[in-house]
Amino acid sequence: MSKLVEKRTVDMQIIGDWVEPASRVLDLGCGRGVLLDYLQQTKQARGLGVDLDFQKILGCVRRGVTAYQGDMEAFMRAFPDRFFDRVICSRTVQELADPAAVILEALRVGRALTVGFVNHGFWKNRADALFRGRKPRNPVYTTEWFESRPANPVTIDDFERFCAAKGIGISRRALLRGDWHTPCTFRPNLFSGYALYDLAR
Amino acid sequence: MNDAEEDLPSAPPEPGEVGLVEPHDFVCPQPFRFESGQTLPGFTLRYETYGHLNAAHDNAVLICHALSGDHHCAGIHALTDPKPGWWNNFIGPGKAVDTNHFFVVCANVLGGCQGSSGPSSPNPHTGRPFGLAFPFVTIRDMVRAHKLLCDHLGVSSLYAVVGGSMGGMQVLQWGIEYPTFVRRMIPLATTARESAQAIAFNEVGRQAIMQDPEWHHGDYPKGGGPRVGLAIARMMAHITYLSDESMDLKFGRRKTAGVATPPGAATPSSRKPSAADAGSTTPASGTSAAYTFDVQFEVESYLRHQAESFINRFDANSYLYITRALDHFDLTAAHGSLEQAFAGVEAATLSVAFTSDWLFPSAQNREIVLALLRAGKRASYAELSTNLGHDSFLLESEELYSLVRGFLTR
Repeated sequence: MSKLVEKRTVDMQIIGDWVEPASRVLDLGCGRGVLLDYLQQTKQARGLGVDLDFQKILGCVRRGVTAYQGDMEAFMRAFPDRFFDRVICSRTVQELADPAAVILEALRVGRALTVGFVNHGFWKNRADALFRGRKPRNPVYTTEWFESRPANPVTIDDFERFCAAKGIGISRRALLRGDWHTPCTFRPNLFSGYALYDLAR
Repeated sequence: MNDAEEDLPSAPPEPGEVGLVEPHDFVCPQPFRFESGQTLPGFTLRYETYGHLNAAHDNAVLICHALSGDHHCAGIHALTDPKPGWWNNFIGPGKAVDTNHFFVVCANVLGGCQGSSGPSSPNPHTGRPFGLAFPFVTIRDMVRAHKLLCDHLGVSSLYAVVGGSMGGMQVLQWGIEYPTFVRRMIPLATTARESAQAIAFNEVGRQAIMQDPEWHHGDYPKGGGPRVGLAIARMMAHITYLSDESMDLKFGRRKTAGVATPPGAATPSSRKPSAADAGSTTPASGTSAAYTFDVQFEVESYLRHQAESFINRFDANSYLYITRALDHFDLTAAHGSLEQAFAGVEAATLSVAFTSDWLFPSAQNREIVLALLRAGKRASYAELSTNLGHDSFLLESEELYSLVRGFLTR
């Protein structure tokens, strides 16, 4: 569990490095507001979270994080172009039924979009499927298939192909090894456990 | 009291009760100019307070009541009271609005009939009730009058303004009218713009009152007037506060005691009425009771009871005035757009809607929050799944309590 918490912190630190001070940040799938709380504390960000679940909104409100309960696509449609300095989609894309629609809409309302995800092309995940013949399970995705997370697993190659096909520019990427700490330079789709992208139109 | 002592505990203590409270009257001797341009030489507001105003005079939480509510939102007036104030589950020591920390103020609205100046108050020129001579009231008038009360109480700023339905409209108006005075807004189950559907329901209620021959263009003695019309208005309005599901759960098709099931829906043992049944006291005679227009279903009996208790405490002219104030509430029209309406707001907002509310549906509450956000304000939105309709905001919900407590603690 402590290892998981540590991994979460690494993710937050990188995103924190990318966020400009005092910028207006929208977090899609904000959960209980831990990331936004961190960005507000360290970067004086003006944070706003969106989540579907009441308990998550309750967690945000208790932390002093502003949050909106509802569908992220419908939410973004209510905002003009480039309203947010940055939109963050951290560990959310793998849960989306229509990731392209969300990402393109996020690139409309945001000047920049940060996407972070667990790379399902990571060799351990492949080994799970290959040798065990089972849905990958690891410290991040602990559930069985019938508990159904992630709904729509993504790999680094999947994501980069998508960006190329849609003409989305990748301004920064952080590909980390299985420890989610050391940068991964060799065949990241196989050896990177976690990927973070900074995108712009 | 120093700042350290004012820190809120992380775990709320076991909730207690406000206990015995008494209403007070604030008599404003200054002339009051209504939005309509009409004036009153002065006015009275009846109000209650719970808890204590701190040394900085900045821990006041103002509670705004809905159409048929009043200033008595918590505690009891006498040990024999059958029921406490209307939001007693929400306000008190250790409750969502914690009177150990906050100085809670609730006042009857201007135009009301529970002690504040309204159409049933005596007109100093005639000695009789104002009736329709009372100035037209708007939500903004209500808020401006309550601001004078806050000033009178020595409140330096409002820690929060909280209210549901019409109370929620006042909350929004507070944030717009007095941006530096209001630090938090909690509008519940409300709208920034009364919808055509809501206006339509109000109009049916007003017609029921005004078509009652006892209304006499608003000129009726205290205690008299269009009781039938007011009762019908209340019955109809009450339906809009509930939901299909909640009424089905609460009443279903249950009959009031003493009413037999009509044939057709009868159990197999009962039979068709025959000539031999006429005038007899056999169960079939109950059939005749089913073919009357007396109360048969529990839901009818419930609505009649609601109406009966309402006409004994509410003035028909106040009902006309306040529903008109609701109809006129349209922040978009008043400011050009909702974003412009909220442009000056400084308060942080927590808006809560209820999925089964069809009078002020969640979409209308969302619109408030989206406009606040587009205007660059801090506004959170949460939605509670309830089946109880518009009145959900008054019901006991630990989720609602935690949310409000969490927001007030930050």
